[in-house]
Amino acid sequence: MDLNRALKIPDDVPSNSLDIWTTYQTILRKEEISTPLAAVLALTELVERSDAGTMFELVKALNDGAKVLNARTPNPIGLNAGCELFIAFVTLFPHDSDSFSDLKRELVKQGQKYATEAITYREKIAELALGFIKDDSVILTHSYSRVVMKTLLRAHERKRISVYVTEARPRGLGLRTYDELTAAGIPCTVVLDSAVSYVMDKVDFVLVGSEAVVESGGLINAVGSNQIAIIAKAANIPFYALAESYKFHRLFPLSQYDLPTHNPGILAFPLTSASSSPISLQNNNPSIRTANENASRPEQSRSMTHEQIACNPDVDYTRPDLITLVFSDVGSLTPEGVSQYLVGMFAG
Amino acid sequence: MATEPSSAENHRVVESLAARLRRRQVVGSRETALETVFVLRQVVSKARFSNIDQLVEIIRSVGRKLVEAQPKEYTVGNTVRKVLHHIREEYHTASQGTTASSTPKPSFSIAKFVSQGQPRKQATPQKTSHETRGMLKENNPDDPDAFARTLKPVLMEAIQDVFDELETVYDNISKNAKDHIHSDEIILTIGKSSTVEAFLKSAAPYRKYTAIVADTAPSYSGQEMAQSLSSAGISTVLVPDSSIYALMSRINKVILGAHAILANGGMFAITGSLLVATAARAHSTPVVVCAGQFKLTPQWNLYHEYGALDFADPSSVLGFEEGDLVDKVDVVNPFYDYVRPEMIDAYVTNDGDHPPSSVYRLIKEAYDDEDYEL
Repeated sequence: MDLNRALKIPDDVPSNSLDIWTTYQTILRKEEISTPLAAVLALTELVERSDAGTMFELVKALNDGAKVLNARTPNPIGLNAGCELFIAFVTLFPHDSDSFSDLKRELVKQGQKYATEAITYREKIAELALGFIKDDSVILTHSYSRVVMKTLLRAHERKRISVYVTEARPRGLGLRTYDELTAAGIPCTVVLDSAVSYVMDKVDFVLVGSEAVVESGGLINAVGSNQIAIIAKAANIPFYALAESYKFHRLFPLSQYDLPTHNPGILAFPLTSASSSPISLQNNNPSIRTANENASRPEQSRSMTHEQIACNPDVDYTRPDLITLVFSDVGSLTPEGVSQYLVGMFAG
Repeated sequence: MATEPSSAENHRVVESLAARLRRRQVVGSRETALETVFVLRQVVSKARFSNIDQLVEIIRSVGRKLVEAQPKEYTVGNTVRKVLHHIREEYHTASQGTTASSTPKPSFSIAKFVSQGQPRKQATPQKTSHETRGMLKENNPDDPDAFARTLKPVLMEAIQDVFDELETVYDNISKNAKDHIHSDEIILTIGKSSTVEAFLKSAAPYRKYTAIVADTAPSYSGQEMAQSLSSAGISTVLVPDSSIYALMSRINKVILGAHAILANGGMFAITGSLLVATAARAHSTPVVVCAGQFKLTPQWNLYHEYGALDFADPSSVLGFEEGDLVDKVDVVNPFYDYVRPEMIDAYVTNDGDHPPSSVYRLIKEAYDDEDYEL
């Protein structure tokens, strides 16, 4: 019997896992759901459908589900934060239900309740950050973040603000921020990622969203945040991060290369030797060709190839000493405060 | 509200302190804190209430009035917050006997789970063993005062705790002074802070050190400080403010007082403190701030606004005897400096020594979140 069951598991997992990945994807399609929350909801779904009869089985199923999700996304940081939160919650949930199915129902209810609650967190954060935005502020933001957008739009209702937003290569999400802010009537200018230090002296403070806030109190966010923080520090300008509390992530990166998103391909040098001709010769990728032609005609703009972009990171890590404050739904915290929360959550 | 008969009396006490605060007859962070405790004690002892919310609202309205009277004396608001915190705590311990059985298990949710990380002081097992427990009944329709009657002795005790803390604050801060000051050190301070004075004096019997006091223009309170220290047998040097930077290379440690400690770890302190702190930073001299816990203020000095500071009488900068000039120039005498958290190495408080980065945690422990805005 036992053996049978043990043999069955490998069959179970893929069927289950396929499910959880598509569930996760459908949940994520909703505009206001971010990755950690989608992960919580996907795991809630998993609990609902699971036929686990014991806590051990359930936690194992959750861990497996989390592993599947993790393996299938290129950037699992936010997702991991959500999975971690939900699994820790399930393990520490004081269960005095009559039967295990009751407990599961309770867990599902809790997960769904949390998701509806968590959606309001951005408003809470916007409200909190509002007190830090004075009239006539000039704000620098980076890329696109829903919580930053909410905060800026909220601030615009009562105060005059103007915003510089970085282009945020390679995804160019800064342009989306630009479009939405301009549509709302907020004066906004897109600046080059390379012009951040040029613009810094005109800025009152920097406001960025986050992918995750880690145990050191540091920040993981769209690549470029770190250099903005360094420049802000050098110019003595406050650097504020906005993070919903489900983005608190139990990770302690010591450098950029400790992030789970880092892989050997990032920043790798091409294998070709110096003497050999550029790769583009035997490649008829149009973008590469233009790049090559441009070499002889410098008046035209050059652009990176997909291969070149692939050698670059999506997110980077900002050290806690560069961050002035982290605004979260649990209050405005110093970076040290974040570690305190994480320890309280996962050590208890 | 059920406060009609006694409110007149309460009103008078509150108005009197508010007026004195407004006229600057009560100044100084500890002085105002003590006065606030006295007023609150009187208010609570006379107040009529039949549930905790009414009581909290009474205290808050008093607090609001006092804070509005003098918003620059941050300790007034802090004391009110502290009293509210203690009262809630006492109420919870007192009501546990009655409500624990009736209320179902505390609901557990993911949001709660997240906030477990919130710093909270470990509830010390209450030494009080009041017989009142178990009889606490809110909103009793037959006898609306019953709740107040049973709870009041406990509340008085809670307020007394706040008072005691203020009374013993200097002793508690300075009890570790000899661990901070070593023999043959040269210590620089500025202005006359009673906390720093007590701190330096309590180290004097154990350590032979030199105190250099800047004379702190335009109030020249440093002169008083120097006199007080030298009369306690400490070898003291009084120097003009302008020589602070030049002397800094010889100083081992800077000890400052504070007017208010802000949530980000920065502080308001007497003018000249920023000058001292900046000079100390240039020489990597440690800057230690001595301050009681009642100065912890749940506020941020966001834009380092000039107006966030207090302005004193400009006549000490330029008096009317210089009549020709008075017409031609604007004279201001800002009383406090804002010192950024990066410039401070440690806070020595009556609740231990802390780096500026954990001030926010101390604030979370000392006050309830809902009281930040009174």
